[in-house]
Amino acid sequence: MADTLHPRCLKVLVVEDDNEMASFIEKVLEDAGHEVECARDGATGLARARAEDFDALVVDRMLPEKDGLTLIREFRDAGGTTPALFLSALGDVQNKVQGLKAGAEDYLGKPFVPAELAARVEALGRRTTSEPQVTTLRAGDLEMNLLTRKVTRSGKKMDLQPREFRLLEYLMRHAGQVVTRTMLLEKVWDYNFDPQTNVIDVHVSRLRAKIDKDFPEPLLQTVRGAGYRLQG
Amino acid sequence: MKLPAHWPAWLTFERMAKLPAKIAGQFPRLPEDIRFPIPERVRRAMPVFVRTTTFKLALLYSLMIAAFSGALLAYLYYSTVYYIRVESERRITVEFEQLANAYYTGGMERLSQSVFERMTLSGSPFYYYLEDTSGRKIAGHFPRLPDDPPESGMKTVYFDFELPQSDGSKTLRPAAGRIVRLRDNGGALMVAFDTAQQTVIVDRIQSAILVAAPVALILSLFGGVLITRGAARRAEELAKTAEAVIGGELSRRVPVRGTGDEFDRLAQRINAMLDQIGKLVEASQNTGNAIAHDLRSPLTRLRNRLEIALAKPMTEEAASTTLGETVEEVDRVLDTFNAILRLARLDAGTEGLRVRMDLSEVAEELAELFDPACEEGGLSFRSQITRNQLVLGDRELIGQAISNLIDNAVKYTPQGGAICLSVTRGPEAMIDLTVLDTGPGIPEVERPRVIERFHRLDSARTQPGSGLGLSLVQSVAELHGGELVLADGNGPKDCPGLKATLRLPRA
Repeated sequence: MADTLHPRCLKVLVVEDDNEMASFIEKVLEDAGHEVECARDGATGLARARAEDFDALVVDRMLPEKDGLTLIREFRDAGGTTPALFLSALGDVQNKVQGLKAGAEDYLGKPFVPAELAARVEALGRRTTSEPQVTTLRAGDLEMNLLTRKVTRSGKKMDLQPREFRLLEYLMRHAGQVVTRTMLLEKVWDYNFDPQTNVIDVHVSRLRAKIDKDFPEPLLQTVRGAGYRLQG
Repeated sequence: MKLPAHWPAWLTFERMAKLPAKIAGQFPRLPEDIRFPIPERVRRAMPVFVRTTTFKLALLYSLMIAAFSGALLAYLYYSTVYYIRVESERRITVEFEQLANAYYTGGMERLSQSVFERMTLSGSPFYYYLEDTSGRKIAGHFPRLPDDPPESGMKTVYFDFELPQSDGSKTLRPAAGRIVRLRDNGGALMVAFDTAQQTVIVDRIQSAILVAAPVALILSLFGGVLITRGAARRAEELAKTAEAVIGGELSRRVPVRGTGDEFDRLAQRINAMLDQIGKLVEASQNTGNAIAHDLRSPLTRLRNRLEIALAKPMTEEAASTTLGETVEEVDRVLDTFNAILRLARLDAGTEGLRVRMDLSEVAEELAELFDPACEEGGLSFRSQITRNQLVLGDRELIGQAISNLIDNAVKYTPQGGAICLSVTRGPEAMIDLTVLDTGPGIPEVERPRVIERFHRLDSARTQPGSGLGLSLVQSVAELHGGELVLADGNGPKDCPGLKATLRLPRA
């Protein structure tokens, strides 16, 4: 992850009771350049989340004192807005729906690839800063108008299929961050399963062929072992 | 806790406990459940039969019948006896009226004459006695009045008298009569009748009732047992089945008689419940088998690799390669593990929502998702999707199933081949989603086995994958009330291709 550029350093609260898992998460996030604090049970986690202004919460579901779902629910009921991610061994679709309903923004099943966690936490941290009412997205000299659905790079018009448009939109909203293949399948195609073949890679490389062709500076980069990043 | 002094003695703790709410006290409830009206000691001593519902119902039934028939017999008794009394009263009244008539028209002389006449009448049920003011007998059956006549008006008397028989002996007979003080000259007249006959009838009725009541009680008890035994036997069948299931005989079912009554409906529900439990048990057994079968060997391999790595010193490069391979192996194990869990949940039927969804839409999305990857892999991809084919299903699961079918086709179809995804109307009320490839196909004898858990064709051992892809498609199909049909494709005999059809019921 040495080549990751950090859009900014996030202050992350990790609520996890398993020592080894907690230090692993801590290491992954610190390697990605974030500041991490750990809480070992639900009650402490909730107290810490309320006491301090974190950029993101990473919460296990099965916790002593207070389970993760209750923690997030109570945190939201009390008006807490810090974006949260569930990190849980209960990883199927129904569990995800439960987690999102409780008020979390994202859900990741254990075991996870370190880069996936880092990418998702970064995407979370970004949410709080993104403006809700944007009509134009920009990344370098690439420009996307969300109303007219026109995409240009240095003034040159790009001709994109609807799905390519949505793919690029997601990448642009998370410009500068690593996004993983599963994140793309989840957010762009709205499927949660894991296709065994490299379907997403092919879509990304087709998009890349369109936006980076004829330009010396490639915007859409592959991050080895993790996913993709659109240069911000 | 202290009871207020004015509380009646019968309001004991036991009785208080029968009241639903706590009245007072330091404890949330009584330490022992003594709400049962029969004390525990007595209840334990009762034979098992007495505690059964059959017995209780039969008892209740017979008590009710006994109460009804008792009321009926009582009514019968009173109405009969009362009628007899009233009837004789009426006849005496008539008799008096006639005699009074004689008295008023002809005075004492005419009355005594009338009494004499009546006394000689054969077949008359009445007995007479007439005396004058001084108490001297004028006429009559009896030597004297059984009781002093009243000063005025009328008086009813009951007495016994001696009736002379034809053989000269005398029998004592009961009689009832009325004595009337005559007006003006003040004599007294008594008309009585023999109540022996009446007493016999009343006695008859009484004895009949005394015999009938216990017979009715016994019969009603018998009937009660007969009626409730049917219901009790069905309940017993339920209990026996439950016992057998608890004892491990999961295939046992409650017999259904086809009468459509409450017991049949209950039996059907219980059988459905047992079916579901059976499914869950089987699913968990399958999962156990699957874990033993398919996770043990990769974990053993992993362990061996780590043992070797530990045993001898390695160069940094070799160590890095070994670790990389180890991570890959662990990932595979985790993938398999996830697939097993997913299958278990599918088998248990707890996975997935069932909503009306457009299968064509999902197929189109997946065609769009897979198309570029196929082309990149040197395969031509084509889709023929009939629009608006609705099914009741879970989009995620069906998407995964279609993805598995296409994945499978991509894996086994050699370069230059073709894959076709189609959605068409199937037979009857079904919709067919077909993935057709130009690969080697699956020989007919192998087809049932590839759907089995963890079965992979020998030729496929070198390909990555858990061997659970088609099993998952099959499970998804079953969950949606459909099926997975495997057939030869359109290719030549030596390489026919595979035509995998996910057949789902139309919504």
